[in-house]
Amino acid sequence: MKTANQPLLSLKGITKRFGALTAVDGVDLDVCPGEIVVIIGPSGSGKSTLLRSVNFLEEIEEGTITFEGSEVGYLRNKHGKRHLDTPNRICALRSEIGMVFQHFNLFPHMTVLGNVMEGPLTVQKRSPEEARAIALDMLAKVGLSDKRDVYPATLSGGQKQRVAIARALAMRPKLMLFDEPTSALDPELIGEVFDTIRALGKEGMTMIIVTHQMGFAKEMADRVIFMEAGSFVAQGTPEDFFANQMEHDRIKSFLTRIL
Amino acid sequence: MKFFSGRIFRAILLFSCLCLLPAQLSHAEDYDQIFHEANDAMGGGDLPGAIALLKKIPVSKGEDNAPFVRSRMQIARLHFALKDFKAAEADTREVLAVYPGNSEALNFLASVQQEQKSRSAVFLEDCLRFLPNLLKGSVMTITLVFCTMLISPLGGLLIALGRLSRFKPVSTLCWFIIWLFRGTPLLLQLFFIYYGLPALGVTFKPFTAAILGLGLNYSAYLGEIIRGGIQSIEHGQMEAAKAIGMSYGQAMRRVIIPQTYKRLMPPIGNEFIALIKDTALVSTIAMVELMRSADQMFNAYFNITALILAAIIYLVFTTIFTFIFEKIETRAGIYENR
Repeated sequence: MKTANQPLLSLKGITKRFGALTAVDGVDLDVCPGEIVVIIGPSGSGKSTLLRSVNFLEEIEEGTITFEGSEVGYLRNKHGKRHLDTPNRICALRSEIGMVFQHFNLFPHMTVLGNVMEGPLTVQKRSPEEARAIALDMLAKVGLSDKRDVYPATLSGGQKQRVAIARALAMRPKLMLFDEPTSALDPELIGEVFDTIRALGKEGMTMIIVTHQMGFAKEMADRVIFMEAGSFVAQGTPEDFFANQMEHDRIKSFLTRIL
Repeated sequence: MKFFSGRIFRAILLFSCLCLLPAQLSHAEDYDQIFHEANDAMGGGDLPGAIALLKKIPVSKGEDNAPFVRSRMQIARLHFALKDFKAAEADTREVLAVYPGNSEALNFLASVQQEQKSRSAVFLEDCLRFLPNLLKGSVMTITLVFCTMLISPLGGLLIALGRLSRFKPVSTLCWFIIWLFRGTPLLLQLFFIYYGLPALGVTFKPFTAAILGLGLNYSAYLGEIIRGGIQSIEHGQMEAAKAIGMSYGQAMRRVIIPQTYKRLMPPIGNEFIALIKDTALVSTIAMVELMRSADQMFNAYFNITALILAAIIYLVFTTIFTFIFEKIETRAGIYENR
């Protein structure tokens, strides 16, 4: 595990409920700068909800999120009731945390270049020339410079996901969240997306990745976490996790089902 | 000799007069008889028979040509009734050959000639008569349509966003506006704005009242359509926009609303075509537009051509709109790979 004085992201007691269902149940997690955390687990275990909570796409009921040393995202009113911080502050936080979705969610009415430029242009209010330069840079990084003028509808799934990664990177985020980035892809397209993520890891990007690809977890992760029913059941370095935690019954049965 | 010859002359004259008198009297009686028989034939529906009878009356060279004129004009009218306009014209000209200035014949000739014109020529004449007024009315109709087309999408967007607002008073207010304006007839709304509001001390000119009524009504309808369009955009789009740090407003403006354009074109095109026709309702609040102009022409001339023309103009407008909206729809969806 790479270490630093201070974790980039620190989650304490994160709890998210949907009515009677507790999707995330008091999760603690520290992510250090440059660390790659891979979260695995059966569907409905709360992995995605946890990830979305970090980006405030889900509003948590309990717990604190500390980003770069300061607690963020929630305020308490005079009655002590917590609520989401002002829209401006939430937007500012989100622009420092990139997110990649399972279904890409590219903007279909914009070209590939337009998609990648959109953040710098609209959110960071950069000039069109500047935004364009950044976007071309990011497209080169994901190897799609030649596709810059086409609309997303003409791309393959793998290409779409790489554009989505470029779009997130264009905001120069400090943390990247990947929510099952390859689950909607044909098997032969998974490789190109992981190559892109791998390259990011080599550059020292801090990442939290939810995935079902064990091979990737083994190869890339600094830490593997197994999540079930809203809690972390086990975690460790990939070597430790896949060697020792396999004794854990639930993990074993999950992994045999997956592999 | 002079005396003798004078006597003889007088005697001959007297004799001939005595001989001619009964003959002249019997001619007049014959003509009366002919007219009488012709009348009977007409009464029995035998128009050709009546014509044949009347033709027996010759052109008389004397001073009294009344029976001749009367008979020929009668024949002309009968030919007219039989729709033999050529023969009717010939009969009239026969009279005019003898009496070029006969006013009855001249008038009749004019109507025969009018009748002989083809229907399309008559229609064309009517068109030329009505078109200037109808086109003037059309300008008002188009003005109303364009003003409403400018106002209602903006009003509709506001109402749609208001309905989607999480701030209860705003969403309730917008719900109420839709409920009110969709739930009552446009005609009643126009009446209320133009005739009802003055009672409360608010007075509008007819044009302002018309724009207000049409604008509010169509904003309410478009509000629901736009809301449907916004909600039909996949939820992931809003999340992706938020994830790169966009505010709700930025996400709406840059990501969500542009994607609704293609989906909104068919229903909004529908609404605007309905609008073209709904503008006819403002004729009830003292506005002169296409429908009102057509109605005025129709009442003044009792001529259905005015209404046919108005229908054609409405059809031209709606057809143009249909084509424009089809074009815009194709343009708006250019990013969809097909």
